[in-house]
Amino acid sequence: MQQTTMVVKNVTRRFGGGATEVVAVKSISMTVNAGEVVLIMGPSGSGKTTLLSMLGGLLKPTEGYISIGKDVLTRLTERKLPGVRLKRIGFVFQDFNLLSALTALDNVALVAQIAGASRREGRKRATALLGQLGMDHRLSFLPEKLSGGEKQRVAIARALINHPDVILADEPTANLDSHHGRETMRLLRDIAKKDGCSVIIVSHDRRIRDIADRVLWLEDGQFKEVQGMAVDPVCGMSVDIATSPAQVTVDGHTFYFCAEGCRDEFLSGMQETIKQISDST
Amino acid sequence: MFRLAWRNLFQNVTQFLLGAGGVALALLLMLALDALLAGSEENLVAYIENSGADIYLAQSGVNNMHMAASAITRSDMQRAGRVEGVLSASPILYTSTSVEVHGSRVLAYIIGYNPDSALGGPRSVIAGTTRVNQNEAIIDEAVARAQDVWLGDRVDIFGETFTVVGITQGLTSIVNSTVFIHISDFERLRPGDAISYALLDTVSGYDTRVVAQAIVDQYPGINALPRAEFSREERQIIRDMSTEVLIIMNFSGFLIGLAVTALTLYTATLNKRQEYGVLKALGAKNRHLYAVVVAQAVLSLGIGFVVAVGIVELLSIILPGVEPGVVVTLTIPGTMRVLGVSLVIGVASALAPAVQIARLDPAQVFRG
Repeated sequence: MQQTTMVVKNVTRRFGGGATEVVAVKSISMTVNAGEVVLIMGPSGSGKTTLLSMLGGLLKPTEGYISIGKDVLTRLTERKLPGVRLKRIGFVFQDFNLLSALTALDNVALVAQIAGASRREGRKRATALLGQLGMDHRLSFLPEKLSGGEKQRVAIARALINHPDVILADEPTANLDSHHGRETMRLLRDIAKKDGCSVIIVSHDRRIRDIADRVLWLEDGQFKEVQGMAVDPVCGMSVDIATSPAQVTVDGHTFYFCAEGCRDEFLSGMQETIKQISDST
Repeated sequence: MFRLAWRNLFQNVTQFLLGAGGVALALLLMLALDALLAGSEENLVAYIENSGADIYLAQSGVNNMHMAASAITRSDMQRAGRVEGVLSASPILYTSTSVEVHGSRVLAYIIGYNPDSALGGPRSVIAGTTRVNQNEAIIDEAVARAQDVWLGDRVDIFGETFTVVGITQGLTSIVNSTVFIHISDFERLRPGDAISYALLDTVSGYDTRVVAQAIVDQYPGINALPRAEFSREERQIIRDMSTEVLIIMNFSGFLIGLAVTALTLYTATLNKRQEYGVLKALGAKNRHLYAVVVAQAVLSLGIGFVVAVGIVELLSIILPGVEPGVVVTLTIPGTMRVLGVSLVIGVASALAPAVQIARLDPAQVFRG
């Protein structure tokens, strides 16, 4: 039986009140097991960032329960939350968010030191970890001298340095080319499978589906069935078939679009192609 | 965290140079003024400390020379000279007036002394003689160089012309200089029976404090102070007179230093707002980030302080050559005081960035 790392029960987050109240996340529940890679997808404004912030102990839910192991995040005081974030959660960001003044090694070692490791111990662990991620030749480089993929590997090393139970990754491949994107995906999967660390990824990148054990679709603050999803052929966004604002059927095949603009672009592109074919014949 | 503070500080060299330069300038303002006053103080008490007198005899109630008027009779001096332990008593006449040199007026203490007496005359003569005759004067090197006069040239004192026969050293401050003339000239030009002070030499082995007390006890109309005490009183008067200026300048320096340091730190913190937010999200507590700000403040001020001390030391070498009479002396109490002020600036300037950090929402990291 797999060990459960994270439990989320009936989590709701409201912003504002009265007539201007916005419910960003509505009564969401989920469990994440050790070694599991969970991908959360959804359109912009669907509540992904709010959910991720709550899972990371950065934002208190209005209602509900979130726990990582024995630590119930929703019951912890603001004073205790940083300690839990430091030791039980690793963060990987879209923009890498490395400290620009520190070298790759110091960026990773600093987080170990904040958690209580001595400078020597922190640097030793960081050196070993960066070495495992193939960064041993870039230890003394400042972030500005690193490629996007290298920056993300440093960020992943930083997330792992205190042996967290959960890694929360926010669009980890968004600023990477396809090669580095795949490399990052492989790394996150390896971390989950080899270290038993749960990985929760919020992303628009459909390629991540390939490494995810589970894909959750978040829309209007709620999880929806991912089976009813299609890919917008213009922008590449995942689209809920049931609520798609525009569709086109060509030769018996139906295309679903996230917006009418994408559909129009698709149709004009098709007409252009037909015209080119007829002109050439 | 110290490493992060250090790296943050030096990441933008221009910003660092402007910040540390501003801090150095503010501290320099305080240090230089203090050193300038300390240097002046040294020169103002140079005559008292180097005259060779063990005890200074003055009118009762007069404890110093600067801005003071003392009058004692020669018979008082002679009586004091007979007290056990006193070897000799030498009279001087003293006033503060201007000396005209090549049409320029130089403020100076005029000391009329008897070259035949044991004490009273200049000790640090670098050219000419220590003995003046009538209508002769000994002036200080700083005035001589500034006014381009030397041995054999003429100066006007009390409206009469004197020939320069000696040059002293170290008796000019930014306030004034010291000029020696023959006591008979002084008496002729400022008629009166009294003398200003008497300089007593004591027999070797006698405690000057005991001798001075014996004089005061026996002759209530006169005051007798050992050289060290007389010098201390002189210094105190100078300090009292310069305290307000010093306070104003120190306060100005404090405010400038505070403004520069606070602005530098605030801007540095603002520039790193996103990164501090990331650290908070990762689990750093406010105290970790406060440590970065405080370390940056201490580093900025430490570097600024060292630069300021270095500049003042440099000024103490260069300035006397450029502007005779301006002596810059860095004192340990003055340096410690400025160091203390620097620490206050450090703490005060770290407050605004600390508030900024405390208000940082770590959840911003997901908002881009």
